[in-house]
Amino acid sequence: MEFAENALQMYTDVVDSTIITYNGPFDAQVLSIIAENIEYSLSNNPRVSKKIFKIFIELAQNISYYSAEKQVNEEGNYFGVGILMLREFKDHYSFSTGNIIESKQVLPVLQKCETINILDREKLRQYKRKLRNMPSGVPGGGNIGLVQVALTADHPLEYDVINLDSEKSFYILNVRVNKS
Amino acid sequence: MENIHIPGTHGANFIPTVDFNAETGICTLGGESYLEDTVEFYAPLFKWLKNFTAETKKLIVFNFKLKYFNTSSSKCIIDILHILRKYQEKGGEIEVNWFYDSSEEDIEDELEEIEDFMIETNIKINMIPE
Repeated sequence: MEFAENALQMYTDVVDSTIITYNGPFDAQVLSIIAENIEYSLSNNPRVSKKIFKIFIELAQNISYYSAEKQVNEEGNYFGVGILMLREFKDHYSFSTGNIIESKQVLPVLQKCETINILDREKLRQYKRKLRNMPSGVPGGGNIGLVQVALTADHPLEYDVINLDSEKSFYILNVRVNKS
Repeated sequence: MENIHIPGTHGANFIPTVDFNAETGICTLGGESYLEDTVEFYAPLFKWLKNFTAETKKLIVFNFKLKYFNTSSSKCIIDILHILRKYQEKGGEIEVNWFYDSSEEDIEDELEEIEDFMIETNIKINMIPE
């Protein structure tokens, strides 16, 4: 019985706290539906709503561009597939995303997260300005989305990578935003 | 020179509202900028600004009235500011304004972003409450 009770408790906790959960391709249509949901669900707290919206767009675009799992839409465009969850807790919101990445991307992804987490706010802003001035496509440069996510959230990133096989890994990211 | 007018949208794509006026020298970029292909959208705007700054001797007033923009749009904002700075360097007069919602309690994030734009481009941006 204990297992069933624990499972029920876990289910209730997740359902109670969940505002949005989505699993699938991150195309423009999906993005706009989730964005609308965020604006609607958090309309009582405009400050946090704006932050969550900004973070959502960057995380969703990251999945759309960088997920190693792609789906093609009717117009023949490819979009990255992943999972996204927005949950509400007593004093904070929590954004979690997961997507498959190529194993050769694991090291750069982990290094990027580590770099972001060791920098204080001023250094992080400097890092963002440096990356923004590098042309896209330069190794280590380009994508500043995650840096902006950390700045907007004002919390360190929580992240992990699970090895799936020799070629693929699963990348999990969790971002926290305080309610006040 | 033809003016540019693009009405913004808030839907499947978040396209900013663009009003570039060659007669008045007033250019406005407003609304929300979260596009799938940011460069494709902004490239004609850069081209217009480059042509305009090459032809005109007028004061150029650039008004940013953006409510939201993503990081790839922020790169394009930097590019716009660079074009304006080059115009300034060859003797042109510019005024860059950033309008923000004065009813919002917390504009710290926004102020920080504008400060970053100023540091990166060496252009003075006036913060104007609206």
